[in-house]
Amino acid sequence: MIALRYMLKEGEESFREFLSKVRENHSIEKPDLNKEPFSKEFLPGIIINDGVTFKTKQELAEYLNEVFETSGVKREDVIGNKGLWTWLAYIWFEQITNNRKNILKRNEHYICTSPSNYRRYYIHLIAPPYIIYSLYGLPLSKLFVYNPPWEINDFTERVAANQFLISHKNIIEAIYRLYFDESCGRPKPGAVSGDVEGSVRRFIKVIQQFEFTYDIYSMSSDQIIDLLPQEFNRWKNLKI
Amino acid sequence: MKRALNFTGRKRIERKNVSLQFKKRNNKVIGFVIEKIDLNGLELPDYALVYVEAYYRTELKRFKLGTIDSLTFPFEGNLDGMAYPENSKFRILVVNPSDLKILAHADKISPDEMTGKNAILPVQFTDLGNEIWRVEYEGDEGSPILLINEKIPPNFTRQDPQFLLFVYPAVLREILTHIVFIDKIDSTTEPTVDWHRNWLKFTQELGVEIPESLSVDDDNKNRDDILEWINKCVEEFCNKYSEKFQEYVKTFLGEI
Repeated sequence: MIALRYMLKEGEESFREFLSKVRENHSIEKPDLNKEPFSKEFLPGIIINDGVTFKTKQELAEYLNEVFETSGVKREDVIGNKGLWTWLAYIWFEQITNNRKNILKRNEHYICTSPSNYRRYYIHLIAPPYIIYSLYGLPLSKLFVYNPPWEINDFTERVAANQFLISHKNIIEAIYRLYFDESCGRPKPGAVSGDVEGSVRRFIKVIQQFEFTYDIYSMSSDQIIDLLPQEFNRWKNLKI
Repeated sequence: MKRALNFTGRKRIERKNVSLQFKKRNNKVIGFVIEKIDLNGLELPDYALVYVEAYYRTELKRFKLGTIDSLTFPFEGNLDGMAYPENSKFRILVVNPSDLKILAHADKISPDEMTGKNAILPVQFTDLGNEIWRVEYEGDEGSPILLINEKIPPNFTRQDPQFLLFVYPAVLREILTHIVFIDKIDSTTEPTVDWHRNWLKFTQELGVEIPESLSVDDDNKNRDDILEWINKCVEEFCNKYSEKFQEYVKTFLGEI
């Protein structure tokens, strides 16, 4: 167990240095950044389990959501704290790299960039699962949190990185109903493919056209799905 | 930024016809106030519904202002629960309630500042270690955000002559340099990136003429002209705040 901290600039630099070295040599030791000037304790004090195991991003998001809720910390107080997300990636590094077997190439998967740059923010491995889960809960966030913590999530990168889509609950509900297979606990095959009719890539393009014509916010997910052209018919079979 | 053709018949509510300001408490944004939305001349039906949306990234809050024939101003909305209320942009929609079609709209509205101008440089107070300030190009379309060390009191950053004189001219120089040499602005008259356009307009308001071209050729032929233009902008910016400079100089003379 360890007190929750947030990474400072020097800690971020040391973590960045570690990331470049560990890609070359998987057995190097992680530097101790749990002290100033590398990181600082988050206030109010929160104790987290640095040895907890998450099978999926959902488990990770649920854990954080519970920790913050129990401590009385609001979502809006943490989602913009990039140092916090970087520190969590540091402390759960073994978790989010599958014990160093899946270390991703881009540092932004581990080091959180400015939250105002949402396109890059959404490739972090810890912040987006919590941000989306805490916003929409289950089952709507499932597409974004179904896979292991060390993997990139295609839906996060395509949907969550689009301000209009991710901020509309009814659109997220429509996407969930169209593309998530509850019986398998994962997206339907071909849901994010570029060459499959009615895939989420096409959905995004179609919604971007509707956005100019319709008040999407006032629609139910049913109404959004009904508006979709024929190419989406094969996806329209799941009700929640 | 791609320009979209409007085949939908939606009407555009011009920015000048909207007066919207942030509401602050202890220097923190807590909400917004709309003083007016002038829809005259757009020929919209009285029964159409008017909404205002405040948004930023995953956050979106919608406010119903009522039908056109029932609008009353000022309208106040609170931004509780928004993670970055100070960065909120606003969208105004006029909707036909029967088919949910958008009849008129205005988007990407930034609130008026006290001076009545739009903010072109959002400021965020954050942990910068031992650094006083930094510009990050992380806003919409890579627009600049001025980060100031959170240990510095916000009032000080707005009033202290030394801070203003040391920081803001350097910020201006950095941003103009970024626009030309990093972003490689595509046009001086019709830049496709909104924030480039806003900053060029700002330099014009300083009284500095924009050079015919701001594109740096491979042989760097324009380089000196562009650097001279940037210097001139910074010079005029400092001239605009000459009173602050005089105030600063007085501190050496022991008059303050």
